[in-house]
Amino acid sequence: MLIWLILVPVIAAACIGLLKTPGRLTAIISAAVSLILGALAVLAPDCCTECLTSFCGTPLQLTLGLPLSRIMVLLAILVTFAAVCGMKAPNADAERSWAISALLISTGAIGAFMSDSIIAFYGFHELALIPTFVMIGYYGRGDRRNIAWTATIYLGLASMVLLAGLLILCTEMHAWTFNGLAAAVQAGIMPESPCLIAALLLVGFGTLVSLFPFHTWAAPAYASAPTPVAMLHAGVLKKFGLYGLFTLAAMFGPKCQELFGCWNNWLLVLLLGNVLWVGYVTISQTRLDDMLGNSSVMHMGYIFLAFAAYIACNGNNELAFQGAALLMLAHGLTIAMLFLLTGQIEAQTRTLELDCMGGLGTKLPALGFLFGLAGMASVGLPLLANFAGEFSIFVSCFAGWTPAAATCDCWLGSVANFFGGMGPVQLATIGALWGLVISAIYMLRAFRNIFEGPVGTASERATKLTVLDIVAACFLAVFIVLFGIVPPTCL
Amino acid sequence: MNMIHNLPWLFLLLPLVVAAIDWVCLNKHPRLAATLSLLSAAATLGLCIAYLTGLQTGTPGVYTWMPCSLEQLCLHLGLVMDPLAMRMMLVVTGIGLLVHFFSIGYMKGDPSNLSRYYAGLSIFMFSMSTIVLADNLAMTFIGWEMVGFSSYLLIGHWFNKASAADAAKKAFITNRVGDFGFLLGILLTLGFFGTMNFADMAGKAAGIAPAVLTVTIVCLFCGAVGKSAQFPLHVWLPDAMEGPTPVSALIHAATMVAAGVYMLVRLQVSMGTEAFTETACNIIAWTGAITAIIAAIMAVQQDDIKRILAYSTLSQLGYMVMAVGLLAGEAAMFHLYTHAWFKALLFLGAGAIIICCHHEQDIWKMGGLTKRMPLTVLCFMMGTCALIAIPGFSGFFSKEAILDAALSKNPVFFWIGAGVAALTTFYMLRLCIVAFMGPARDHGAEHAKEAGFTMALPLVILAVMAVISGYGFIANDLVPFNGFHAHGFALGLPFYVSMGALALGILLALAIYGLGGRTKDPLAGNCISKALRNRLYIDALYDKVIIGGLQQGFAHVMEFLDCYIIRGIICQTLVWFTVRIGYLCSWLQCGSLRAYTLVSAMGLIILILLLAYQF
Amino acid sequence: MIPLAHYLILSGILFSIGLAGVLIRKNIIVVFMCLEMMLTAANVALVAFSRAQGTAGVPVYDAQVLSLFITGIAAAEVAIGLALIVAMFRARRTVESTALNSLKD
Repeated sequence: MLIWLILVPVIAAACIGLLKTPGRLTAIISAAVSLILGALAVLAPDCCTECLTSFCGTPLQLTLGLPLSRIMVLLAILVTFAAVCGMKAPNADAERSWAISALLISTGAIGAFMSDSIIAFYGFHELALIPTFVMIGYYGRGDRRNIAWTATIYLGLASMVLLAGLLILCTEMHAWTFNGLAAAVQAGIMPESPCLIAALLLVGFGTLVSLFPFHTWAAPAYASAPTPVAMLHAGVLKKFGLYGLFTLAAMFGPKCQELFGCWNNWLLVLLLGNVLWVGYVTISQTRLDDMLGNSSVMHMGYIFLAFAAYIACNGNNELAFQGAALLMLAHGLTIAMLFLLTGQIEAQTRTLELDCMGGLGTKLPALGFLFGLAGMASVGLPLLANFAGEFSIFVSCFAGWTPAAATCDCWLGSVANFFGGMGPVQLATIGALWGLVISAIYMLRAFRNIFEGPVGTASERATKLTVLDIVAACFLAVFIVLFGIVPPTCL
Repeated sequence: MNMIHNLPWLFLLLPLVVAAIDWVCLNKHPRLAATLSLLSAAATLGLCIAYLTGLQTGTPGVYTWMPCSLEQLCLHLGLVMDPLAMRMMLVVTGIGLLVHFFSIGYMKGDPSNLSRYYAGLSIFMFSMSTIVLADNLAMTFIGWEMVGFSSYLLIGHWFNKASAADAAKKAFITNRVGDFGFLLGILLTLGFFGTMNFADMAGKAAGIAPAVLTVTIVCLFCGAVGKSAQFPLHVWLPDAMEGPTPVSALIHAATMVAAGVYMLVRLQVSMGTEAFTETACNIIAWTGAITAIIAAIMAVQQDDIKRILAYSTLSQLGYMVMAVGLLAGEAAMFHLYTHAWFKALLFLGAGAIIICCHHEQDIWKMGGLTKRMPLTVLCFMMGTCALIAIPGFSGFFSKEAILDAALSKNPVFFWIGAGVAALTTFYMLRLCIVAFMGPARDHGAEHAKEAGFTMALPLVILAVMAVISGYGFIANDLVPFNGFHAHGFALGLPFYVSMGALALGILLALAIYGLGGRTKDPLAGNCISKALRNRLYIDALYDKVIIGGLQQGFAHVMEFLDCYIIRGIICQTLVWFTVRIGYLCSWLQCGSLRAYTLVSAMGLIILILLLAYQF
Repeated sequence: MIPLAHYLILSGILFSIGLAGVLIRKNIIVVFMCLEMMLTAANVALVAFSRAQGTAGVPVYDAQVLSLFITGIAAAEVAIGLALIVAMFRARRTVESTALNSLKD
C-alpha cells in the first residue's frame, strides 16, 4: 500500500502533464486518494513495511516503522490536500504546472519520510526540490529569478554537504539504511570521525531547515513562491532536515551524544540566532509574506532546541522527541494555513504591505477568524496545535537537569548562582522563551494592521469570499484545533 | 470511574463547548448564543453551589494529556476541589453569571457580532475555571494563556476602533512578557521541586537552597505581575477599558486580574510559606506596595469613569499582592473575594451609567444623576463605601485584615496601606461628587433614565454582596481559603489609622469638590496634574523608549545585519571568490588547439616519466 | 637479425616527429597526417614486439592483429576526419588551427 502513496501523485502528475487533464481537479482527486490511503496506513496498528527492490544488495524499503515517519506522512498528506484545494493559478496552463509541481513535491516529501534506505531518503528530497526551484523561477513574485537561483545554490550546496556527511557515516558504519544503522550501533560499531560527520550533517540538514546563519534563502523564497509551493515547502519539505537529524539521533539511541555531542553547544548558539536574531528580523518586516517567511525560520529554532535537549540527555529524553514531532506537525499545518490565507489576502486586497491594509476583518470576518486562528496557533496558544509541542519542548529542556547547589540568599548572589547552576541547554531555553514574546509581537501586529482598525484603502477592494475560497483553510483549521485538544502523541 | 465523579469537568467543558458553538455555528443568531452562554454560566454556578454545599462530592478523574514514560514529566489534567478552589469558583461563576445577565441589557442593539462577544465570555469562563481548578502548574499555564486570549478578544471586541485594537494588542503582549517569566518559573519549579503538581510540592522547599528558591518564586511572580497588572507591567489594564464595560467588570476587575494573587496563594498553600524566602517576599510586597501607591495617585486625576475604576483596581490588586508578599495569604484572598463583589458592582454600575448617559464616560460631562437614576447611584454608592472601607461594609473587614498583617510584619507597608486608603477615599468621593451631584453638565446626563431590569438586577445582587460579604457568618463559608476564619476586629492602631485615613480622604474631597456644582477640576492645570493625567509618562516611556527605541531599533539593527552582513558581505564575498576562481580557471581555456595539445602532450610525458621512475 | 631496440628507436623517432608536427604545424591537414604518423609508430612498435616475443620463429599474432585493427580504424578515422576538414573548409574558408578558437571568444 505504501508504494501507492508515492505512485498516486506521480500518476496524477503524469496524467496532467501528458493527457492534459484539468490540473486542479486531478490534483485534488489524487490528494484525496493519498489522504485516504495515508490515513489508513498511518492509523494502522502495525508499522507496515514494504520492500520495493534491491539496490547493490541493499533492499530499498518503504516503511512507516521509523519513529517520525507516521507523523510526517500525516503532515504531508494533510498539507498536500489543502495546498491543491486552495490553489488559485492565473490560467489553465499555469494551473497544470502548479498542480504537477505540488504533486511532485508531495511525492518527494512522502517518499523521503517513508524511506528506510538513506540514499533513497536523500534522493526523494532532491526530487522534491526541483519543482520548487522551477516554480519560484517561473511563477514567483518579485525578483523571482534571483531568488530562485539563491535558493537553488543554497539548497544544492547544502545537499552536497549533506550527501558527503551521509556517505561518510554510512561507509564508516557499513550500513545504508536507518534500521541498519540502528543494528550497527547495537552491535557496538561507531563512526570513526563523529565530529566531521556531525558537522557535515548539521550544516547540510541545517541549511535545508534554514538554521541560522544559513537561513537567508528561506524568507525570500517563501515570500516569492506561489502559494501551494510555499505551503508545501515551508510546511512539509523543510521538515526533512529535522526529520533526518531526529531519525539519525533516534537510530543512535543512547549513543547519539557520541555522534552529535561535539557540536551541541554550537547548535545552541545557532538556534538562539534563529529564535532571537531572526525573531527581531521578523519584527522589522513590513510585508506579510516576508514576515511569515521569517517567522517560519524563527520557529525552527524551537525544534532545534528539542534536538539539542535530546542530544544533551543522550537520547534519554522522550519528551523532547515527542515535542519536536508535535511541533513539526503543528508548525507545518499552521504555516501552510498562513501562507494559504496570505494568498487569499493578496487576491482580495492586491497588496501585502501591512501598512496599507486595515479593517479587513470588518469586510471579511471569516478570513479574519481563520487568520486569527492560525496566527494564534503560531503564537502558541493552548488548545491549538503548536502549544503542546512548544510546551513539551520547553519542559523537556529542564527534564534531565539536576540543579547545582547554591549558597547565599542575597539578590545578586542568587542570580549568579542561578545562572551558574544551569547547563547550556537550560540557558539557551531561557533565551528561547523570549521567542514567545517576539512571536506575539509580530503576529498580533500583523493581525492588528490587516484585520483590525478602520477599513483601509486596500481593504476597500475586498469583495465577498465564497465557501470554495476558504474550504482548504477550514480543512487545516479543523486539524489545528483537533491536534491542539488531542495531541497525536500515539503516532 | 464513576461518571458522577467526573462532573467537575463540566466546569471546563461546558463553557468551552458553548464558546465553540457560539462562535462557529451561531454567528447569525446572537440571541441564541447569549442564551446558551448564560445557561452554561448558570449551570456552572449551580454545579459550584452543589459542591460547596456538599450535595456533590468526589474527586474527578485525572487525564493524561501528554504521556511520557517519566511520571513527573507527564502533562496531566486534573482538578483540585479544595475550599480555596471551589470558593474561588463561586466568585468566578457567580460574578460571571451576573455579568452574562447584565450583558444582555448592556449589549442590546450593538451592531458588532454579539455571538463572538458571548463566545469570548464563555472562553473566559472556561479558562478562568482552568486556572482555579488546575492541579498542576502546566494546566495553570494553559488557563493562564487562555484568559489572556479571551481578554484580548473581548478588549478588542470593537476591533474596528483603532484604540480598542491597540489596547487588545497591548494587553496580550504585556501579558506575554509576564508569561515569559512565569513559564521560566514553571520550568524552574519542575527542575527544583521535581514536579509540577501542587499536591506533590509540599515540604520539598526545605531541601532547596534559598537563593534558587528566590529566583524561582520571583519568576513565577512575573506571571502575576503581568496578569494582575503590577508595576512595571501595569500599563495594559487602564487601556483595557476600551472593551465593553461588563467585560471590564468580569475580567479586568473581579476575576482575571486577581488570578495572579490566586496563583501566588495557591503556591504558598502547596509549597508551604517556607518556599517564599525573605528576598522573594520583599520583592513581591514592594511591587504590590508601589503599584498600590502609583495607581492610587494616578486615579486622582482621571476623568474617565472607567479609568478611575481601573486605576482603583490596580491599587487594590497592589494591596493583595502586598499581602501575599507579607505571607498573609488569608488576608489577600479575603480582600480578593470582597473586592471581586464590590468592584464588579462599581464597574457594572459605571456601565449602567455610561449606557444611560448615551455612551458618555467623562465624569465632568455627567452630574445630577442622583435624581435621574437613583437605584443605580445607590448601588454604586454601596460599592464605593465598600471600596473606601467604611466600617460595616465588606471592604472594611478585608482591608483591616491586610493592614493588621502589615503592621505585624513590617510597619512600612502598614503606613503605605494607610496612605493608599486615604487616596482611595479621595478619588472615589471625587468621582461620586462630580458624577452624581450638582446639575447635569451635558445632554447625555440630562436625558439619563434608570437602567432596565437586566442591568438593575445584577447591581442589586452585587450591592447586597458588597455589604454583607465581609461578615464572619458569610465570609467563613465563602472566602476562598482553606479553613478561613474571620478575625474579630479590635479597636487598635490599625482601626484608628484607617479611620483617620478615611476621614482625611473625605475631608479633602469635600474641601476641594464641595457638594457638586463645579464644572472643572480645581486641581487640573498644573504640572503635577498633567503628569498624572499622562500616567506619570510610564506609557510614553514604554512606547517611545522600549518599543519605539529599543525593540524597533534592535529589530532594525538585526534586519540590517541580516541583510547586509549575512546576505550581503558574507554571501557576496563567497560569490565574489567563486567568480574570481572561475575567471582564473578560464585562462586555461584559451581556445587554441595547439596549446591544448601541448598541455596534453606534456601531461603524457610527465605521466610516462612518473611511471618510469616510480617502478 | 636486427635487434628489437632499433625498431623501437625508429618507432620513437616516428612518434616524436608526429608529435612535433601536431604541435608545430598550423595546417590541420598536416596535423592530421602527423597524427597518422604517430599511429604508424605504434604499429611499428607492435609488429616489432610481435616478432621479438615470438618463439621458434613464430611471432605472437595478437600484436599483429592489433596493428591490423589500428590500420583499419585509422582508415575510418581518416575518412571522417577528412570529411570534417572539408566541411570546415567550406564553412570557414580556412584550415588553419589557430582560426579555430570561436569557443573561446
